[in-house]
Formats: sequence, C-alpha cells, structure tokens
Amino acid sequence: MKRLCWLIPLLLLGCGEDRDHVTVTLWHQMVPAERAILDQLVLEYESAHPRIRIRALYKETEELRSGFQASALAGSGPELVYGPSDVIGPFQTMGIIRDMTPWLPAVEQGQYVEGSLTWLPSRDPDRADKPELLQVGDRIGNHLALVLNGNYIPQPPATDLDFIRLAQENTLDLDGDGRIDRYGIAWNFTEPFFVIPFLTGYGSWVFDKDDPSQTTPDLDNPGAVAAYRFVLDLRDKYKVMPASCDYEDADGLFKEGRSAMIINGDWSWGDYLARPELKAYVAPLPIVAATGLPMGPMVATKGYSLNVNAEGQQADEAMAVVRFLTSPPAQRRFMEELKTIPSRVELLNDPLLESDATLRASVTQMRNGRPMPVVAELRAVWDAMKPRYQALLGGSETPEQAAHGMQADALARIATMNQELQPTAFVPVFKTLLFLGLAGLLWWQRKSFGLFVRDWRRHRLAYVFVLPSFVVIAATIVYPFFYNIMLSLSNMSLRHFQSWEMIGLQNYVQVFQESIFWSVLLKTIIWTVVNVGFHVVLGVFLAIVINGPVVGKSLYRVLLIIPWAVPSYITALTWRGMFNAEYGAVNLIGHQLFNLPMIDWMKDPLAAFIACITTNVWLGFPFMMVIALGGLQAIPLELYEAARVDGASRWTQFRKITLPLLKPVMLPAVTLGTVWTFNQLNVIWLVSNGGEPSDKTHILVSYVYKAVFNLYQYGYGAALSMVIFFILLLFSITFLKRTSATKAVY
Amino acid sequence: MKEPRILTLGRHLVLLLFSVIAVYPLFNVITISLRPGDKLRSTDLSLIPDGASLQSYVALFTEHAFLTWLWNSILVSVVVTATGVVLAAVGGYAFSRFKFVGHDAGMLALMTTQMFPATMLLLPLYIMVAKLHLVNTFLGLMVLYTATALPFCLWQMKGFYDTIPTSLEEAARIDGCSRFQAFYRVVLPLASPALVITALFSFMASWSEYIVAAQILQESDLFTLPLGLKSFQASMSTQWGYYAAASVLVSLPVMVIFIALSRYLVSGLTLGAVKE
Repeated sequence: MKRLCWLIPLLLLGCGEDRDHVTVTLWHQMVPAERAILDQLVLEYESAHPRIRIRALYKETEELRSGFQASALAGSGPELVYGPSDVIGPFQTMGIIRDMTPWLPAVEQGQYVEGSLTWLPSRDPDRADKPELLQVGDRIGNHLALVLNGNYIPQPPATDLDFIRLAQENTLDLDGDGRIDRYGIAWNFTEPFFVIPFLTGYGSWVFDKDDPSQTTPDLDNPGAVAAYRFVLDLRDKYKVMPASCDYEDADGLFKEGRSAMIINGDWSWGDYLARPELKAYVAPLPIVAATGLPMGPMVATKGYSLNVNAEGQQADEAMAVVRFLTSPPAQRRFMEELKTIPSRVELLNDPLLESDATLRASVTQMRNGRPMPVVAELRAVWDAMKPRYQALLGGSETPEQAAHGMQADALARIATMNQELQPTAFVPVFKTLLFLGLAGLLWWQRKSFGLFVRDWRRHRLAYVFVLPSFVVIAATIVYPFFYNIMLSLSNMSLRHFQSWEMIGLQNYVQVFQESIFWSVLLKTIIWTVVNVGFHVVLGVFLAIVINGPVVGKSLYRVLLIIPWAVPSYITALTWRGMFNAEYGAVNLIGHQLFNLPMIDWMKDPLAAFIACITTNVWLGFPFMMVIALGGLQAIPLELYEAARVDGASRWTQFRKITLPLLKPVMLPAVTLGTVWTFNQLNVIWLVSNGGEPSDKTHILVSYVYKAVFNLYQYGYGAALSMVIFFILLLFSITFLKRTSATKAVY
Repeated sequence: MKEPRILTLGRHLVLLLFSVIAVYPLFNVITISLRPGDKLRSTDLSLIPDGASLQSYVALFTEHAFLTWLWNSILVSVVVTATGVVLAAVGGYAFSRFKFVGHDAGMLALMTTQMFPATMLLLPLYIMVAKLHLVNTFLGLMVLYTATALPFCLWQMKGFYDTIPTSLEEAARIDGCSRFQAFYRVVLPLASPALVITALFSFMASWSEYIVAAQILQESDLFTLPLGLKSFQASMSTQWGYYAAASVLVSLPVMVIFIALSRYLVSGLTLGAVKE
C-alpha cells in the first residue's frame, strides 16, 4: 500500500486552483487553423494580464452542446462557449446562458456590425420587452460559396445556365472506361444545410418569411419543389455530379482534381487555397436565371456566450476576455490569415476587404445570404429535412412528396420539442404507490436481512471479498440508475430543463403509442438475431477449423483476434470508408476482381443496414471463436476416438459430441453477446452516420440517443431506456431459465 | 490424427481468407496515416500510397502533446487494471465458492449492469461526478472505468474458479491453511490464466474509452489518448492524417498485449459451464 502512496498527489492533479489566479475556461469549436491563432491570442492576453489564465478547449460540435448542457445543469461548466449562433436559441430556452448587456454598454454595442450581436426576448415574462444579449460575434460567415479549380474553369459562372454548361464541359470520362473521371460539381449531399442556396435561389426559405419570430416552418412551396428538381436534374439529367456524395467524398474529389467545382463553407477554403496545384479560387454562387435571384446560403454569426453559472469576478474577467478576443486587432488577424469577415464596424472599411479576392467574393456571397434564425425550432427543421432530402436523392420520393413530408415532419417535431407535459392528478397517487412498492419490496425481503445477519458469521470471508466490488459498482451505477428512473417519470425537455417535475407514466405511454417504437424494435431484434447468429456460427466454425492439425495455428489465431483488439470506434469508421460507393474497398475489390456492380451502400436503407451488420459481425466473431476454442479444447479426445471405433462419420461426431458439449460453454457467451449487440450504439452510429439514410437504420439505442440529443426529450429518452432495460432483463432471465444455463451462470 | 490432404488444404484456405478479412481494415487505417495531405478517400487501393510519408506520426510527437496523452493513458489504465484484477480475483472467488445470502441476486445484478444503454447514464453520471468535485481528476475516471469493467471480470473469474476442483482447497485446509490461505496459496496461482484475461479486459476498458473521458477530463493536459485522438476530429474538418496515425498508435499497444497474451485467451476465458 505504501508504495502506491505517491500516486495520490497525481490522482488529485488538476483539482487544486491557484488562489491568486482567476481561470477563465473557454470551450470552442474552432478548426485547427483557427485554433493556432486563438492560442497566440491567449498567450498574449495572459502575458498582459498575469493574474488571468485562459484554458481554451476544443470540443467537437455535438460534444460541446451536450457537454455544456450537462455541466451547466450540474451548476458548473466553462465560463465561455464559442460557436455558431444556431445553439443560442436552445441554450437560452434551457436557461443555461446569461444576458451579457451589463458588461457591454450601448456605446460598445454600436461598435459591432448589426447582426453580429445576438439578441433574444427575455424568457422572464416580467422582462419580456427587454431583449437579452446572448452572443457576441467575432465574425460573420459560416456560409457556403462556390470554390473552383482554376485549371479547369478560369471564370466563375454568372447564372445557373452558365453553371450547368461549365459543369457539363467538365464532366469527363478521360480514359474511356465508362466511368466518369472528372465531375463538374460536387458537394455534401447528406446535409440539408448544403441545399439552402438552391432554396433561396428559387425564392424559398425554411421558415415563413413573413413571420418575424422565424419559428413557423415553410418547407412545402413551389420554390422548394423547383429547387429540389434542379438538384435532381444536375445529377440525373445533366449528369454533372456523382450519384452520391458525402462531405468527405466531395472534399476528396476536389482535392484530387476530380471535381471542377465544389460548394463548401468558409471554414474549408483555406485548405483549398493552400494547394497551389488546384489554382483554387472562391466565387459567389450563380444567379438562378428563371427567378433572377442569387443562390444565397445561410449566414451565421460565430461568437462567445456566457455561462449562467459564471458570477462575480469570474464573469467580469470572462467578459474582459470576450472583449479582447472580439477586438479589432484580434479579428484582423483572423481576417488576414483565414479570410473571415469581421464583426467590428471599424474593420468594414479595411482595404483588405476590397483587395483580397477571396474576401471580396465572400462578402458578396454573404450579402446574398440570409441570416440563420437563432431559434430552437431550426433544429427540428433540420431533423425533418434531412431524412426526406436523403430519400429524395435516393430516389424513393419525388420533390413534391419530399417537400410535403418535410413540412409535416417539421410541424410534428416542433410540437414534440415544445411539448408541455403537465403533472396529472394521478401523480400523488403514483408517488404513494411507488413508495408503497419500495416498502413492500423491503418487507418481502425481510427474511433475507435476518438471514444475512446470521450468515455474516459463517461466510464472513465471502462478504469481505465481495464488498469492495459491490461498493464500486453500486457507487457508479445505483445513483445514475435511480436518477434515470426519476427522469423517465418527469417532463424534462427543452422547456423544462432545469425545472423538471414528476408527471407520472406519460412518457411510457408515449413510447408504446408511437408506431415507430415497434418498427425500430423489430429492426433491433433482426439486428441482434442476425449478428449473434453470425457471431456464433462463424466463431464455432473457425474454432473447429483452427482446432485441427494446422501448421501456423498460433499465427492464424493472432490474426483472427485482431478485430477484437482494435478499439471499435476506429474500425467502425474504417468500415464506413470501405463501404463508400466511389472509393470504398468493398466496391473497388468487388468491381475490379469479380466485376460486381458498384453498390451505393449508404443510399439504400437496406444496403446501409447490411453494411452495419457486416461491420458488427466482423467486430464480434473473434470473441465467440475464442470462447468456442476454449470449449473445444475441454472436450476429451477419447470421446472422438471411441466414436471413430464405432464407425461414426465426422458429421455424426460433430452433431453428437461437439455440439452438445459446446452448448453449455456457448450459452452464457450468447446471452452476454445478445445484450451487448442489442445496445451496440457505436457501430450503427459511426457506420451509418447517425441512422442515415433517412433515419432508417436505427436500432433502439441509436434512436433514443438521437431523440434525446436532437430534440432534447430527456424524459422520453429515459423512459425508452428503461423499456430497453426491461426487454433485456426479461430476455436474459427467460433465456437462461429455458436453456437451463442458469446453473452455469450462477 | 491423420486427415485427408484436401481437408487440411481447406482449413488453410478458410483461415487465410478470414485472416485477410480480419486484418484488411487495419491496413486501411495505416494507409490513410501514410497518405500525404489529409485525404481520407482515394481510389488507390495499394497498401503503401504514392508519396507515403511518416510526417503525420512525426507531427504527433513534435507538434502535439502525444507523449502527455500517452502517459495519462498509461497511468489511468495501469491503476484500473490493478484495481480490477484484485477486486475481481477476490469477488469472483466468493461468488464461486460461497453460497452466501444475495449470491444469486448478485450474479443477476452483475448482468443487469450490462443491459442499461450506457449513453443514458452519462448525464446523471456527470452530475454526480461534478457534485463530488471529481471533474478533471483521474480518480473519478478510474473509479468509473473500474466499475464498467468489473461485472464482466467478476463473471469471468467466477467461471474460471468453478473449473478448479474444491478438493484442492479442502486438502490445503486439512494441512492447516486458513480459508484465506487456501485461496491465496492454492487457488489463486491456478487461476493465473484467468487473471491475465481479467487484466486484459480491464486494460482494454480504460485504454480505448472516450465518451466518459470526454465528460470528466476537460483540460488538454489531462487528456488520455482517445481524447487526443478525438481532438483531430471535427464534423467537417477532420485532420485525417493525424487521426489515422493516432489511431494506429492507440491500437498498437492493445494489439501487442492481446497478441502476447493470446495463448492465455483460450484457456483463461471461461464464462461458466464445464464444471464437474
């Protein structure tokens, strides 16, 4: 024990704060090039203010959002968060960011470009007429534009007709093998964010333009239908772009010179401009000739928000940091190096904005764009658009159907998100029942307590041995488990994030009422059965093969357990790449070696589901193989010899000796495997990119995950989790009883 | 044990095919890590890409705090492994040899811990950790990792002890050993293959985990390897070269340990059954 003492200071590392220092923590989602500048700025600030320490931490978009929500709920978290303005609406509704007006007087507000300060009406009904300042922007942008390869296209297209012509001229099969080697245009097809310019070009938008609050979706209109038709035409009629394309595909095509144009956001331009061989340049998206309107992207502010838990000196210092990071000199550095558009009035007359071609194009593009609404409803709109948009491109819906479906889904999702579940009269009764149930359980088990006291003396060693494990597990599982039960009975959601209360069984009712639950459950069962089936069959098969007289047995064994040894989040992403339509090894090998057709795995729900299953089978068979190998080696060889003397064939030997003796070894593993597969979130999430296409590849866990994190339905998610838990509990108990494997387990 | 030649050939063919399938994706990661200029996708199928360079690996050590992450990961994993092995060794023994009150309920409870969708525990877990002031400490992380790995390890140790005849301890008791001595001197040495496997599982549980780590460790100096790896990833600007190179370096130690211990895997991994 003494030898381990040196560890203790190490373990506590990081919890001691320096007394005479004030630490300001900042979570941001800046890309690597931006991070480099931020780090310099932080160093400068710290050397000018020796008492202040800035801890800047990069977090991936979703991680920042969920992490900030959780830590703010726990009463802590970073003083500052930096990101695009689309999270501001939800953050305010949840009550986790503060009004920054007290730190930024009117004079200073005037120094910022209109729109770069994000205001929302107060949620406090008494102060509803007083808007709150919730984000101070340090740049305007995050917008899409056209990037062109200067080798192929020296002049940008002015209208969509030019655009189509240029794209057609640059869609080429150079080696005459029937496959396109260079496309005219590529962009990320999977995200609706990238279709916005087409919508605005045809006079449409995602929200009702006349609604000043920008909360009423307007997705089903002739403009939108025309825009979707235009996109489909680009692919099917003019054939100027790949059949399917995600962000990485488009990026890869353009970087390899295999796409003459790409539509991408300002965060990506620097990377293209830095490659001299591309002669890349940025241009505004063309004008749609039929409407005379320019294609305009969604334009967002990026900036800093203040945590509601930041108080007193902490908040003062945090705001001083914000003032510094959004100051003209700081912004100018970003503008010079990364071509961002500043948010300070002072910088608008900067000669650089005129002289730099990229900045000039960016400003024009931004003026053509529309500001991103900062309301929570936007999330529901994206969620409604994404699956339908993917279905449209996948060919299973027409533009009219897609637009119509988007609108209906968006309305339904907004209703779900804003749902106000109220406690019913039943709640007190329910609480009493819960209490009585718990008391009843204790009364029912009262004999056990008596037994325990008597048993203690006899089995003291056993209790002492089990106690530490029990404490560790209980400490980490019990509290979250009961917390989750509470949540499942509560109305915790976007509008009741901090102020949730018990509402009874309404979440459970909702779970069982929705038809989607049953269809996802069915899919989960198929997923589990197919996976575990393949795991066991492949595992046992390979174990039998390897267990014979083979030279190099241990080498094979080592190679075959590799899928198990490598962390699954790495291999799952690799498999996603291998199933890629254009570049994936699965298609390339199939096509080049066996001349199989190229399948677009991620476009069709069934194919995508098969891709997920393949990945998971690959991940899971080594475990079963090792278990089976252990079982095989425990079977006495004399049994086989005796059978051979009796003249039994190999098949009979397998059926009469191997299988029955392997069964008890495999059953516990099958039970565990089933539970693990049922809850396998990683594979589904990473391979199908969160349920794509069209949310059709979800299993229950990934569906819960999405419901909770996208629509903030914490109560509903917790209830569904409890349902998953009980399904698995029921299965395990009956399965183990039925197969009388209980003896082996207990 | 003579087999027709065709059968032996068949065995080799099957094993060869599956070995290639098992290893191929890993080579894919290595290829990306060697590819110059941050390209995830390429139609080039060759294992060593054109203009291959070790630049990403060099950058990990020179431009990023890779060594700090490595050290943090080693520290956390070693402590978790040691704790896990000790707890599972004694706990599993109790479950195997004693029919104490709560024995069956305990075994079932262990399994139920595997049934809860882990993502749902995150929010309450974080609140708990924050209230106990364990954010940004390795201690919080170590306790959580130990708890995650323990149920399986206990199950597995219990299964292995079941295969060791009780007569050995009885003999030792007759020779004057206490119960604890009989366990410590007689049974534990026999259970070494299972201990090795338990250690392996505890190690893996902590070495490659990032979801919990991302919630608890919020300072880049405290990052473990998977967190460092994740910091190269962003929804639309992943640095694939670094990501792949770091993936290879994260996987390497686990694979080496796995391969070194693979002969124990078969004998040590017993989830119950085969008891006489």
